[in-house]
Amino acid sequence: MKTKQLFLNALLVLAVMFAFTSPAFAGNVYKLGLSLAITGPTSDAGNPYSKGVEDYFKFANETGILGADKIDCTIRDDQYKTDITKRNFEDYLDQGIVLYLNYSTGSTLGLKKDFEEEEIAVIPASFHRGNLDGSNYIFLPVASYSEQVISMGEYVANNHKGETPKVALFLHPSAFGRGPLADTQAAVKAGLKIDIVEVVEHGKDLDNTAMLKRLMSKGVQYVISQTIQSPVATMLKDAQRLGLTSKTFGEKGKLTFLGAHYTGGNDLIALAGAATEGYHWICSYNLTSEKTEGTTKQLALAKKYGRDAKAANSHNYANGIMVAQVATEAIRRAKAAGLKVNKENLYKMLNGMNGAKAYHPYTTVGPVTYSKTDRAGVDMLQIYSVQNGTFKKVGSPMQSVYMKKIK
Amino acid sequence: MSYFFQLVVSGIVVGSIYALAALGLVLVYKSSRVLNVAHGQLIAAGAFITYALTVMVGIPIFFSFIASMIITFFIGMLVERVFLRRLIGEPIISVIMVTIGLGSILDGLIYLTPFGTENFSFPAFLPQEPIALGGVSISWTQLVGVIITFLLIGGFSWFFKKSTVGISMRAVSDDQFGSMSVGISVPKVFGLAWATAGLSAAAAGCIIGNITGLNFDTLHAFGIVVLPVVILGGLDSILGAVVAGIIMGLIQQFASGYLDGNWGLNGTGEVLPYIILLFILLFKPHGLFGIHEIERV
Repeated sequence: MKTKQLFLNALLVLAVMFAFTSPAFAGNVYKLGLSLAITGPTSDAGNPYSKGVEDYFKFANETGILGADKIDCTIRDDQYKTDITKRNFEDYLDQGIVLYLNYSTGSTLGLKKDFEEEEIAVIPASFHRGNLDGSNYIFLPVASYSEQVISMGEYVANNHKGETPKVALFLHPSAFGRGPLADTQAAVKAGLKIDIVEVVEHGKDLDNTAMLKRLMSKGVQYVISQTIQSPVATMLKDAQRLGLTSKTFGEKGKLTFLGAHYTGGNDLIALAGAATEGYHWICSYNLTSEKTEGTTKQLALAKKYGRDAKAANSHNYANGIMVAQVATEAIRRAKAAGLKVNKENLYKMLNGMNGAKAYHPYTTVGPVTYSKTDRAGVDMLQIYSVQNGTFKKVGSPMQSVYMKKIK
Repeated sequence: MSYFFQLVVSGIVVGSIYALAALGLVLVYKSSRVLNVAHGQLIAAGAFITYALTVMVGIPIFFSFIASMIITFFIGMLVERVFLRRLIGEPIISVIMVTIGLGSILDGLIYLTPFGTENFSFPAFLPQEPIALGGVSISWTQLVGVIITFLLIGGFSWFFKKSTVGISMRAVSDDQFGSMSVGISVPKVFGLAWATAGLSAAAAGCIIGNITGLNFDTLHAFGIVVLPVVILGGLDSILGAVVAGIIMGLIQQFASGYLDGNWGLNGTGEVLPYIILLFILLFKPHGLFGIHEIERV
C-alpha cells in the first residue's frame, strides 16, 4: 500500500513537472530589440507602435512564418530619453541581437555612430532624412519627412488655382521638425512651384491668433505642418474660431492645412474634433477608415491579441506591424537563401529588398524598396483628408518628383 | 487696428489662463515656502478626472468640473499628509526634491491609465460659434476660461485677505514659530495650502485641456511653462501671478504678431518673455509683487 502511494506521488510530481516545462524546442531563436517611448513624450505614438511590433512577432511565432524558428524581440520603454535608449541598445547587443528597432529622431541621430561601429541594421520609427546621412545601417521604414513635406508641396502646386501658392511651414522646434526645411527649400530652388513665405517653429501655444493673422496678412493660403498632433490641434481650433479654415482645398482668402505623418491620424481628430474637417494628411500607411485587405488583416491581428479599438485603428499600430513584418521577412529570406541569420546577412537581405524582391507589407500603400543607395523603405505616399470626422483617401498613392531631383 | 485689439484680447486670455495655472504654485509657496515641481501633474490629473467623470461615468460636465476640483482638493491634501508633513522643519531643498519625486510618482500613476499615452478631447458643451465684435473674436471656451479664472482668483484673494483661515495661512507663511505660538496649526495650514493648490490646478487643467485637447505631455508641461509667470509676479503674490500672467500673455502675442516672420525673427513669442523676465529680475529680484524680506541678524 505504501509503495503504491509512493509510486502515485512520484507520478504526480512528474506530471506537475511536465505541466510546467516547455516542450522540447527544435528551432533557433533570433534575438531582436526595440527601445521606444511607451511612456513619456510622444508615447501616444510609441505605445500603439510597440503593440504593433509585439503582436506581429507573436503572430509570426505562432503561425510558423519562420518554420520551427522563433523571434524573441525584447521591447523596452526609454521614455524618449536618449541615454536610456543607449543603455537599452548596449544591453541588447550583449544579448546578441541580430537586428535593432529604434524609435526617436534624437536617439537615432545620437546612436548613429554606434550602429556603424556595431555594423547592425537598424529600423527606427523616425523618418528623418538626416538619419541616413553618414550612415550605412539605418533603414527608414517609409518615405522621409522631407519627402512627405515636399510631396505635399507638390500636391499644393498641382492643385492650386492662380499664381504661385504661398505656403507657411509649421515645424516642431527640434531636428525632427526642422529636418525637412532645407530639403523643401532645395526643392523650391529645383523648380517646385510654391513660395515658402514663412517658417514657424511653434511652442506650447494656448492661442495661435497672432501667428494665423500674421500669415493671412502675408497672403499665405497653405500651412504644411511637420510636428506632432497636439500643436496642430490647437492651431486648427484657433483657425476655426477665427473663421480662417478653408471649406474646400485652396479656398481663396482662407487657410488650407496639411501635415506629415505624426501630425495626423485618429489622435488629431480626438484632440481637435470638428476643427480637423478638411485637414489634409500624408502618410505611407493604409487607414482602417478605408477598408482594404491590409486593414482587415491589421484589425484581425489586433482582435487576436485583445487590443482595444483605439490601438487597432491607429496608424502607429500599423507602423509597428510594418516594421516587424520587414524584420521577419528579412530573417525568412536569409533562411530561404541558406544563410545564417546574423547581423551581416540581415543587412544584406534588407539591401536586397528591391525590384522583383521588393517586399509589400500589408499595412502600407506601397512596397518596401531598400538598396545600398536608397534606404527609405516605402516610397509611395497617400494623401487623406478629414471628411465627416474620418480620414478618407484623396486620389491614388503618389511619389515625390522633386525629392529625386534634390537627392 | 482690429489686429491690435485681437492681440490684446488673445494676450489677456492666454495671460489669465497662465495666472490660473500659476495660482497653485503661489498658494503652496505662500504658505510653506516650497516650490511644487509636481504642479503640472496635478493640472493634468484635474483635466483627466473631469474627462473621466463626464465621458466614462456620464456626469454633466459642469458637475464633473466641480467634482474634479473637490477630488484634486483631497489629492492635494493627501499628498501633503503622506509625503510632505514629515518634512516640516527640514531644509527647503529636501522638500523640493520630494516634490520632484512626487512628480515622477504621479507620472507613473497616470501612465498606468489610458490618459498617459492617449489623446482625448472634452465633448463640446459650449456654443462653437465664436463671439465676434468689431473684428475681434473670442471663443466661448476662452471666455468661460477667463471668467472662471477671475472668479477663482478673486475668491482666493478674498479668502487670504478676509477669512480667518486665509489669514492663518498668511501668518504661517510669515512666521511658522510665531503662528504656532498663537495656536495656529501649521500642519493643517500646509494641508489646506496643498488642497487649494490641487483645486486650482484642476480648474486650470480643465480650461487648458478644453483649448489644447487632453494630452498628458501638453498638460503637465504647463506646470513648468508658468514658472516665469510666478517668478515675475513674485512667488508669494496672487495679484502678482495675475499681473505677470497677463504681461506674459500680451508679450507673447505682440511678439508673435509683430516681430515673428519679420527681419528674420522667429519664435520671439517664446523667447521674449524670458528676456523681459531676466531684465525685470535684475531690478526687482523678488518679482513685481513679491515680498522683500529683510533678515536682521
